[in-house]
Amino acid sequence: EVAYSQSTGQKEQLSRCLQRGIRRVQDLCKVLQLPTVFEETAVSYLQRALRHPSFHLVSLEKKELLGGCCVFVTCRQHNWPLTMGTICSLLYAKQEMFAGVYLSLQKELELSVPALSLADLVKTHLNSFRLFQHAADVPAPFVEDKEKMVARTMQIVELASETWLVTGRHPVPIVTAAAFLSWQSLRPAARLTCTLARFCKAAGVDLPPPAHLRLRELLQILLRMASQLAWLRVFKMDKKTVVKHIGDLLQHRIFLLKNAFCLEEEEEQRAAAPGERSPGSPPAAGGAAQEEGSPSGGKRRREGGPGPLLPPCLTNPRKRLRTAALSASDLAVTGDEPISDSEIEQYLRGPEEVRAFRKAKAW
Amino acid sequence: MDADSDVALDILITNVVCVFRTRCHLNLRKIALEGANVIYKRDVGKVLMKLRKPRITATIWSSGKVICTGATSEEEAKFGARRLARSLQKLGFQVIFTDFKVVNVLAVCNMPFEIRLPEFTKNNRPHASYEPELHPAVCYRLKTLRATLQIFSTGSITVTG
Repeated sequence: EVAYSQSTGQKEQLSRCLQRGIRRVQDLCKVLQLPTVFEETAVSYLQRALRHPSFHLVSLEKKELLGGCCVFVTCRQHNWPLTMGTICSLLYAKQEMFAGVYLSLQKELELSVPALSLADLVKTHLNSFRLFQHAADVPAPFVEDKEKMVARTMQIVELASETWLVTGRHPVPIVTAAAFLSWQSLRPAARLTCTLARFCKAAGVDLPPPAHLRLRELLQILLRMASQLAWLRVFKMDKKTVVKHIGDLLQHRIFLLKNAFCLEEEEEQRAAAPGERSPGSPPAAGGAAQEEGSPSGGKRRREGGPGPLLPPCLTNPRKRLRTAALSASDLAVTGDEPISDSEIEQYLRGPEEVRAFRKAKAW
Repeated sequence: MDADSDVALDILITNVVCVFRTRCHLNLRKIALEGANVIYKRDVGKVLMKLRKPRITATIWSSGKVICTGATSEEEAKFGARRLARSLQKLGFQVIFTDFKVVNVLAVCNMPFEIRLPEFTKNNRPHASYEPELHPAVCYRLKTLRATLQIFSTGSITVTG
């Protein structure tokens, strides 16, 4: 049998670059088991991109990545959870180069790409875990029911989202840390001694480096929530023991978070000096912008009391915030001041210095 | 934040990038030899010269094109560029200070509140773009002003353009 495209020479009308790109898109769609409509959309994007002048003269390496970018954009538009890491590993591409091509494609073709849905990513990421069936290299106590684990991981990810742990962060380490906590909490007796690294090894997934930090942050949030739960106040909670109570904490999550906020708001208002106003509404957990009582006070931890729920980079700042104001002499600069010779001399070497430098450098 | 409340925001200019031309060929080796505070990058064919006052770094090419970065105001950038041109004159080059242009200004501002980036992006398409796998901030483009804002969840905003 001869295909129609072969007998009519349809393929010969396409450039070699485009043919290669279409083959790459088709292969990617097969590997990722995407529906046929995804392939058609990705191919149409690829054709548009290669016709665009911005992509005519790019390197062949970048043209190879264009196909992957089109598949990635198509998946995101259909809310199919696919991370850049997955596509880059399939293309054997560096993430920096892929990112550059992807951003150019998005800009030049004016494509609207919705955000990655964390809920869908949780389900897809957990699908790759090898903990849901008995296997020779998976100890029996480690095997877990998939639906329970997915449900609990989703709740922990939602908690992370509400407590500023997701915004601005890479999603996969958060999902990994949340999966680990949910897995531990479902059978704590047998699993508390297992580390995150061992868990990932047993599950057959990579351990992304920031997952340790995300785990630590999640445990800090859970410990603070546990301090608000009446029947847990009598116990001395630490990062091991709090895992046993994750179920209860998640069940009363909204109440516990709101309680933590209200407690800190009241303490701030009581501690405020007489006559000092602190305008602002009580912060909502899911609002688009978080308002603090006073412009500068909201970001500073009050001494001696629990701080407000802030992004971790604000509670543990690594960079000093720039607050230096221009000095009077800086403000007086016009750009056209006269420049004296003595000012310039400091930037020139003397003859002896030049001789010594030339000798040292041996030019 | 209430629409009626007026909170003064400090916008701090942290970097001004300017260019100028010397209208003459520059011998980079001579600049590296006789100039102080100079780094000669022979592989890429440029020289970096740092001035103390104003605190700027100049990238000098043999074609006579010079890019100055590090100034905190346009006036300071011009003053620094002129100082640099004067230094090159003192080294013996027939420098004419021309085509001075400020090409980029970078400013930083801190909002008194945190920002939930996913919701912000959803409400501000198509100007806003947020890719947490690539960068922790939302990229908000203002086409009319040809400016780009990087909006972080801490409320810090960086404006370039």
